[in-house]
Amino acid sequence: MTLKRIQTVIIKEWREAFKGGKTVWIGTVAIPLILLGVSFFQLFHLSDIRAIPPEELVGTLFLVPFLYFLMFPMIIPHSMAIYAIMSEKEQKSLEPLLATPLRTGELLLAKTLASVIPALAITWVAFGLFLIVIQFVLPASVLEWAWQQFSTIWLMTLGLFAPLAATFMTLAAMAIATRVSDVRTAQLLSSFAMLPILMAAFFLIFQNLLEKPALLGGLCAALLVLDLVLLGLNVKLFGREEILTRWR
Amino acid sequence: MIHAEGLTRRFGERIAVENLSLGIGAGEVFGFLGPNGAGKTTTVRMLAGLLAPTTGRALVAGVDVCAEPQRVRSVVGIVTEHPGLYEKLSAWHNLKFYADLYDVKSSETQIEKYLNLLGLWERRCEPVGTFSKGMKQKLAIARALLHEPHVLFLDEPTSGLDPESAKTVRNFIAQLASEKRTIFLCTHNLYEAEQLCSRIGLIKQRLIKVGSPQQLKRELYGRHIIIDLKEPISLSEDWQLPFVRDVQINGRRLLVQLDDPEVQNPVLVQRLVELGAQIQFVREQDRTLEEVYLDLIAQEKP
Ligand SMILES: Nc1ncnc2c1ncn2[C@@H]1O[C@H](COP(=O)(O)OP(=O)(O)OP(=O)(O)O)[C@@H](O)[C@H]1O
Ligand SMILES: [Mg+2]
Repeated sequence: MTLKRIQTVIIKEWREAFKGGKTVWIGTVAIPLILLGVSFFQLFHLSDIRAIPPEELVGTLFLVPFLYFLMFPMIIPHSMAIYAIMSEKEQKSLEPLLATPLRTGELLLAKTLASVIPALAITWVAFGLFLIVIQFVLPASVLEWAWQQFSTIWLMTLGLFAPLAATFMTLAAMAIATRVSDVRTAQLLSSFAMLPILMAAFFLIFQNLLEKPALLGGLCAALLVLDLVLLGLNVKLFGREEILTRWR
Repeated sequence: MIHAEGLTRRFGERIAVENLSLGIGAGEVFGFLGPNGAGKTTTVRMLAGLLAPTTGRALVAGVDVCAEPQRVRSVVGIVTEHPGLYEKLSAWHNLKFYADLYDVKSSETQIEKYLNLLGLWERRCEPVGTFSKGMKQKLAIARALLHEPHVLFLDEPTSGLDPESAKTVRNFIAQLASEKRTIFLCTHNLYEAEQLCSRIGLIKQRLIKVGSPQQLKRELYGRHIIIDLKEPISLSEDWQLPFVRDVQINGRRLLVQLDDPEVQNPVLVQRLVELGAQIQFVREQDRTLEEVYLDLIAQEKP
């Protein structure tokens, strides 16, 4: 493993993906921005927002936008991870790539990180923006109150759920992309992979999650297991022979 | 530089390459010919550390391809069947990526050198997707040379190129050969093989024959001398010289098969003159490598 080779591949992935066209921009940047915009719009348009006691704002102000932060880590890496595999297959660029000293483990790690890093960065930045907007629009006491209420869940979501979910989505999308021959099928199938996790997240929100952070912990534990399984699968799929002879 | 022993590769039931043994010296340009599916690409992949042989072993540039494939990959260069470039990235970024993977010192100088040599410097900032097939092929060659490998594998480097681009690429290969690099050239172009290669191997799953283009031709056909006469001549039974293996008379042309024309021609010519022949031309019949190739492949039953 050398860091330099991994870094080289990651930078190439980003350069290529963002020059690669609309899908990656839409999936990685545009959709999160739109979702974030919608939640801000809600904030600004509640009439008399400053007069409502914070307790009554929980649903509209915190839980709904909060859903986005469960979704972001899953949505954002999706298109990038598919692109990372499909574009190599379409351009037949894997053979010369594998003819370099690059190890297949390094390739897998680099491609995974290339999708997970932007997903986490964007999720965290979006969350930061969200906090800033609350501070701006609502009385200062609201953020203070919210922090006391939600900080455990927030930190768990951003620090635990987000990396696990982004890794899950990336590994699932890459594994699927190695096995199908067109981008649309890959997108469709990996969206199915996303569904159960998203449904679990929705379910948690309506299970009084705020009082039971253990539920989120359970989801994270399940994700960790899934991630490990997917990692094992990807390690198999990323064998040199496998890539050269069976990725079609 | 390349030494293979009993190299075999199976894909499931199918044997792609069987029991290939081969030695290629430093600085040699070795041509590898064979019909589609003969196992050329598979052989290159094994020798370049990309695919593990099922059985057998090989040393390339002194490194064992089975034991240390990663080291093999770092010391050889390869131009794969498809250029496999990143079309959205510029020529420069394509090369920079590979230079970093090969850990090339002073990569920018190397990139500049090869872009210049192959006439792509002016277009270094354009996305490769806008390049012609010939330019892509040249870029793929540049990419294989960035780390200055001593052993270079070229898998059909001129296929699909127009005659002019093909010629540029061939000239460049000749130039690389003059720099004492060992070149392993897979090709379907027999003219190219004859022009560039000091030795040729014919493969159809198994290695059928190895030799210089001249050797291959001779071995298959013996040597034929064509003698053109001014007037047709009728030769009686007793004109024969003991060393003449066969004669065909075709109007004013004689086709004589000999073992050692350098020694035997003068005697032959003298005898013919004695018999009243008026000789216009004497030359050796030159078989094309294509004829040799087709005959050898046809002889080889699957
Ligand atoms: N990944 C693979 N899986 C199964 N069979 C394969 C694979 N790669 C090659 N083969 C088989 O091995 C044999 C040799 O293939 P190879 O590509 O080495 O031939 P080639 O000489 O390079 O042919 P061409 O001139 O068409 O490039 C063929 O029968 C091919 O079908
Ligand atoms: Mg081939």
